[in-house]
Amino acid sequence: MIIFENVEYVYPNGFKALNRINLEVNSGEVVALMGENGAGKTTLLKHLNGLLKPTSGRVLIDGVDTRHSTVASLSRKVGIVFQNAEDMFFSPTIQEEIAFALNNFHFPGDVIRKRVDWALKFMELEEYREKSPFLLSGGEKKRLALAIILAWSPDIVALDEPTVGQDILQKEKMIQIIRQANQQGKTIIISSHDVEFIAELKPRIILMSKGRIVRDGPSEEVLTDISILQECRLLPPQIVSLTSKLDFLGLKPKLARPEEVANEIARRVRHLVNYS
Amino acid sequence: MSTILRGLQFYPGKTIIHKLDPRVKLVISLLLMATAALYLEVTIITMVIVVEALLSIVAKVFSRWARTVYGAAPLIILVFIANFLFKLSMPGQSLSFQSIYESLQLAYRLVAFLASFSIFFLTTTPEELGMALTKMKVPYMYTFAFISAIRFTPILAEELQSIVDAQRSRGLELEKGNIITRLRRYIPILVPLMVNVLRRSYELAEAIEVKCFGAKKNRTYLRELKMTTKDWITLSASITLFTVAIYIRYFSRISIP
Repeated sequence: MIIFENVEYVYPNGFKALNRINLEVNSGEVVALMGENGAGKTTLLKHLNGLLKPTSGRVLIDGVDTRHSTVASLSRKVGIVFQNAEDMFFSPTIQEEIAFALNNFHFPGDVIRKRVDWALKFMELEEYREKSPFLLSGGEKKRLALAIILAWSPDIVALDEPTVGQDILQKEKMIQIIRQANQQGKTIIISSHDVEFIAELKPRIILMSKGRIVRDGPSEEVLTDISILQECRLLPPQIVSLTSKLDFLGLKPKLARPEEVANEIARRVRHLVNYS
Repeated sequence: MSTILRGLQFYPGKTIIHKLDPRVKLVISLLLMATAALYLEVTIITMVIVVEALLSIVAKVFSRWARTVYGAAPLIILVFIANFLFKLSMPGQSLSFQSIYESLQLAYRLVAFLASFSIFFLTTTPEELGMALTKMKVPYMYTFAFISAIRFTPILAEELQSIVDAQRSRGLELEKGNIITRLRRYIPILVPLMVNVLRRSYELAEAIEVKCFGAKKNRTYLRELKMTTKDWITLSASITLFTVAIYIRYFSRISIP
């Protein structure tokens, strides 16, 4: 369980990035942190494994106060996949890249081999095992970054802007991977301003603006509240924009699959035609 | 190191120092350094540092300037130790108050040098520096390389921090172990940093090529540097004071405490 209690964080240049953050995330939840650039999403993520310690307040990860713990020990529980996957790469081959963290966490040799094999298979990177990480495509690099983290099986997986530079197929693959990891019992925290991606995933959404949490709730509620999304400089998902313009048919802004909305429109139009 | 780098970054302002022609500021900085190089006496070097402190107060960058000096402390201590050991290794030298004092003087001179550089970089944009160097007939190719290096320093510092964060999140502990182990632990930091730097340099090369960099030998500029009366007065005053410093050093019989 993750608990933020009255957390404030001020950068050395005086910029207050987090302002009285109170938050609880239960084990096994999927949570999306959304908001404009500079809202405090990445700063909040960096508090999960102690890369940043609160200026005031405290962060508890399964009851452990991050102020009294090292990044290495917290990282065993919390794996963060950063926006720029290449910041991680330095090994000559992909399998060595995955094994690096496992070595740091002192896993036995045979366990390391098994976990590397599993991670390569899970992320469909087996054929590139001996390849340099720098020679992968953008989507493969993202998958490798996730493989690196999932290999040591942290309870909490945090993803910072996982869809930046990804095409539609890669985004769909990312959704599948997130769902699978969640089914394995992992808590997933995603920082993103890709509303379509989040709308597809339908997690609990925490909207942030200027270092504060301005809304916390299920996707169906938050992503259909157009005014709060605009306040956070986010566009609503296309399906919500469409349904919000169909009030003459008696439709309300709705987060649903396009087929469902199409059927609903057809039903209402038929009803109108029959009535007239 | 990052403290020194921050002290060499431009800090915007509208003070009289900021508005001076960059060539005048460059000359003042060089003259202050030359004065510190002329003398080893602690009183004179203190005077140079006081002048630099006053300039930083006028430019409203005193705290940043002071931080540069404070951040340079390890470097200054290193210079002191190196000088001291060098003196001891000379034939006929022994551990004495004189040898310690002389090593301290040299380290103190370094403070004056760094502080002088700091004022210049805190109040001059890389573009202004580029214009000043070009006006001084430095080929634009070299000027561009130099100002690009300055401009990319903060970006490089940010990238370095991101890489350190990413690797620490994979259980890398930079603080543990003996010196050899620690150095080896920097490989996961340095390799991605080198890759990023190389990639950025290729991107920059492409970006400037598509903007016709080097197409014509004689460039024109959006802003042209023009010396104003204030610039000429400041320059004349600085050169006069420096001439006095040379005169006192080589031709007068004034004894300096």
